Amino acid sequence: MKWEIIHRTHYAYAGPVRDSFNEARLQPFSDEWQTVDHFLLKVLPAARLRHHHDFYSNTVHHFEIVEPHTTLLVESHLRVTIKPRPSLAETDSPWPLARIGEAARETRVFDFLQESRFVEMSPEFWRQAIDVTDGVTDTWQAALALMRWVHANLIYVPASTSANTHSRDVLRDKRGVCQDFAHVMLGLCRSLKIPALYVSGYLATEIASATHAWVEVLIPGIGWRPLDPTHNCQPDETYVKIAVGRDYADVAPIRGTYKGTTERTMDVSVRIERSQS
Amino acid sequence: MFQSQTQSTTGGESNAAEKAEPAPTSLLANYPASEAAFDELLADDGKPRPHYSKLIGALEEFSAPELKRRSDTCQRLVHEQGITYNVYGDPRGMERPWQLDPIPFIIAPEEWQELEAGLIQRATLLNKILVDCYGAQELIRSRWLSPALVFAQPDFLRPCHNIRATSDTFLHFYAADLARSPDGRWWVISDRTQIPTGAGYALANRLATSRILPEPFRDNHIHRVAGFFREVQNSLLQLAPRQQDKARIVMLTPGPHNETYFEQAYLARYLGYMLVEGQDLTVRDNHVFLKTLSGLERVDVILRRVDDDFCDPLELRNDSILGVPGLVEAVRAGNVTIANALGSGIVQSPAFMSFLPGLSKHILGEKLKLPSVATWWCGQETARKYVLEHLDRLVVKPAFRTHLTTPDPEKPLSAKEREALKRHIEFDPDLFVAQERVKLSTAPSWDGKGLVPKPVGLRAFLVATGDGYRVMPGGLTRVSPDGGGRFISMQLGGSSKDTWIASTTPVEEDTLLHAPGKNIELRRTGNNLPSRLADNFFWLGRYSERADATARLLRTSLQRFNPERASGAMPLIVPLLQTLQTQGQLPGILDKPELRQSAEAFEAELLAAIFDPDRPGSLRLIADKLHQLAMLVRDRTSNDMWRVISQLNERLSTPTTSLVMLAGDAVGVLSQTLLSLAAFQGLARENMTRAQAWRFLDMGLRLERAVYLCTLLDATLRLPQSENPSVLEAILEVVDNSITFRSRYNLLPHAPAVFDLVLLDDKNPRSVLFQINQLAKHFRHLPQEREGADSGKNILQECAARLNRTDARELATKPENWPNTEVSRVIGETLRDLPRLSNAIAAGYFAHSAISRTGREVLS
Repeated sequence: MKWEIIHRTHYAYAGPVRDSFNEARLQPFSDEWQTVDHFLLKVLPAARLRHHHDFYSNTVHHFEIVEPHTTLLVESHLRVTIKPRPSLAETDSPWPLARIGEAARETRVFDFLQESRFVEMSPEFWRQAIDVTDGVTDTWQAALALMRWVHANLIYVPASTSANTHSRDVLRDKRGVCQDFAHVMLGLCRSLKIPALYVSGYLATEIASATHAWVEVLIPGIGWRPLDPTHNCQPDETYVKIAVGRDYADVAPIRGTYKGTTERTMDVSVRIERSQS
Repeated sequence: MFQSQTQSTTGGESNAAEKAEPAPTSLLANYPASEAAFDELLADDGKPRPHYSKLIGALEEFSAPELKRRSDTCQRLVHEQGITYNVYGDPRGMERPWQLDPIPFIIAPEEWQELEAGLIQRATLLNKILVDCYGAQELIRSRWLSPALVFAQPDFLRPCHNIRATSDTFLHFYAADLARSPDGRWWVISDRTQIPTGAGYALANRLATSRILPEPFRDNHIHRVAGFFREVQNSLLQLAPRQQDKARIVMLTPGPHNETYFEQAYLARYLGYMLVEGQDLTVRDNHVFLKTLSGLERVDVILRRVDDDFCDPLELRNDSILGVPGLVEAVRAGNVTIANALGSGIVQSPAFMSFLPGLSKHILGEKLKLPSVATWWCGQETARKYVLEHLDRLVVKPAFRTHLTTPDPEKPLSAKEREALKRHIEFDPDLFVAQERVKLSTAPSWDGKGLVPKPVGLRAFLVATGDGYRVMPGGLTRVSPDGGGRFISMQLGGSSKDTWIASTTPVEEDTLLHAPGKNIELRRTGNNLPSRLADNFFWLGRYSERADATARLLRTSLQRFNPERASGAMPLIVPLLQTLQTQGQLPGILDKPELRQSAEAFEAELLAAIFDPDRPGSLRLIADKLHQLAMLVRDRTSNDMWRVISQLNERLSTPTTSLVMLAGDAVGVLSQTLLSLAAFQGLARENMTRAQAWRFLDMGLRLERAVYLCTLLDATLRLPQSENPSVLEAILEVVDNSITFRSRYNLLPHAPAVFDLVLLDDKNPRSVLFQINQLAKHFRHLPQEREGADSGKNILQECAARLNRTDARELATKPENWPNTEVSRVIGETLRDLPRLSNAIAAGYFAHSAISRTGREVLS
């Protein structure tokens, strides 16, 4: 499936600001299942862009705007092709949960087994994960059980949380948005020593197009498998993956510092269209 | 033979001289050889080891009073050089004088060679480990290193992964803490790779010790340390991405409150680098620049004294106000080199120590020459088991730089503590290491009467050169304050020593100041002052003059105030009091009738304006502020200027009882204060080059003086009885013009002549016009002001033109008409223009720093 996406972020400051240094994680991955055919990043006031790949291989664009300005526009245009990926059958049992400790030996999974900025592995998370997976003996089955539990027990309430809400508060209040669903699921998986990472991306549905967040879990012998606790499903061709990390803090689409007033408004819009060509 | 003597290790402060004790038979009378520890001085046979014998011989030749004299000189040198160490959490005396024991620690040449080889190998190894951890990570993939050892560390900076270090060097500087165990072997007890501090203190110790013991220093053929610092300069220059003759190297400091700020300022000056704070630097198009008054100047190499995670609020800790946004990207682009490289802190984790022998064989193909103190990292199962079984014998420490607290190693564990510690280790094993307890060796220290053995440790310093690592022939020897001898912390009040490495052959004189065979470019400008410092100098000037004016006004008021007839004498000093009231220093003094009734109350009010730390604008608070500002520019001013300000501040802040002081005593204090301020301003005038720093200091002073003069003249004009010669005399005394007036006019003061002298006489350094002319002169030497700002140059032109048009003779008649005269109008307009001028200077020159100070940095 091919998608055309325009992602626009517009900041308006109450007074002139200057010395603005920013990084953007807006360019999607190209991998086995997803190809970026076209990507263009536009910044206004105009700035020179440089990019590098971060610790988790995400593409990061850098730009600085030194002169005083009162608005900032960051807009990405992209075309991406998603290949159909066969789902892993929900009845499969590929790896015994009792042997999940061996997953830690794979390279580059250390970070996805630890606590991170928004994810904790407290006794509360651990107990919840144990309860949910009571009687489950397979890693994949455990991950599915945790996803179903998150979906069934957390209520999706738009604007009930902020970008900085910690997963412990979400577990307590049982409500949030996709980012919070993902964080809670990460805490539950990691408590069981199942490596789990955060994915930021886009989801194109019939009703709305928006930025979205889900998780990937590592099933030894199979690889990283995506799961979406918000919709209780395995992501398909309607999911476009932008960046991965330990949690939201590693993949925020735009972050930066500037000098000047803290008073400002931010306006985000995402348009996703099915492309026929 | 010494063991029957009583040991005396207390009382560093000696009163031997006063007590007139019988002269001790030997310096070593109180020097018992310790059985438990290795003694650096005495061999097993109780005789001094060969490499110490010359020094001991020389010390024995000095009489005890002579040694005491030299020791006192040593303390004085430390004090005079202003060598200090900032102690955290000490609200009163933030700066603690550096403790230096005059007796050097000596290491024999053969032994030093071995240590050198071991240190070089270790630095090379640690650097290679860093190159791998921030690059290919082969060591982790092939399981030489556990992932947790690297990735669980807060010091592992993920954004710095895959940034290629200039010439593959992360560790440009490395320091190791060494200790000698009872069997005589040297062990590394800790590695310093994040910010290896102490080389500057070692240098300061050397300068002081070689001055008080010149004969033994010469006769023992001690290696000089200057060569090491030349290597430092050369290798930093090699790191510059640009052509070397253009390269600019700066030292990045967290600021004056950092514990080793003295060392930073000292080293920066010695090496010839500018000491800058994060806000002095900015990134433009991935290059780093220094913000100076003359514009932006490119920076090539940053000698880093800020913890690496604080260096860039964009990619590293976003709560940092010490860093420079965009710095990591500038490093990534290869436009600036930071030493030590960002991220180099990970290998100073003690957890690495247990892996070094294996890594040395694997990476270097060599046996590790210098062993580390036995260390177990609990992240490994067998090690953890061992640690849990031997908790009482080991010292448990945090493995990484975390907020974890571990039990005090000096106290035995209670059963409850042991259980809690065990559980914590089992729950989070990666975070803990355990180490064997170290018994430090002892070396002779001066206790005021003779030599006593005290536990010592040595910090050795290395620098990376194009040709491998070099070791400073010397180092910082630290002395444990008590007999415990397990660990030493300058924070906890240890002392230090110079470290002597004897050579078998005579050594050449060496100093950084005249490097032989090298042509240096002669420089006469100093026009690259960071805007932040210009700002500080300007306010230093303003506060020094504010102190001066305040002291003068209060002194004359106190002198002329007659308690016998309070109400009668008051009018004579009304303009003075009015001036202090307008400046907010004696609020409401003229409006409080009760003060007119009671001489005591009135006097108390004046004394409070001098000494009360809680009264806004008191002289004491001004002196405090002056001291703070002087501290901010300390690396740009002479030691003498600093000392004058320190003394001034001490004098005003010591007596809390001074509120009940007699007026006469207070007059004495004020006179002393004025002499100190004259010394400060004189030092500024005669000892500072006419570069930008001096200009801003003087501009501040001139502007403040103009404000006080105008306020005083304005107050005088508004007073009906101002033609009274006694009033005018008080004015002349305040502005120090009584003599001038008498020699010119030879009569009682009268108004037109006084106003001419104080307002319009451009030859009088205490006239308003003189200040305006000086300010205008400074402006002609400064770079262009920033555009769009209210122009300071124009304001000054208007002021000068206005003053030049004025004729003081119009004051010859009728004081009641004075407020309506041209003179009065001109004074009023000047008073309005001066704050505008101050703002214009701030906007025109300090703008970049002003923004970062008042604005807030926020994260989107």
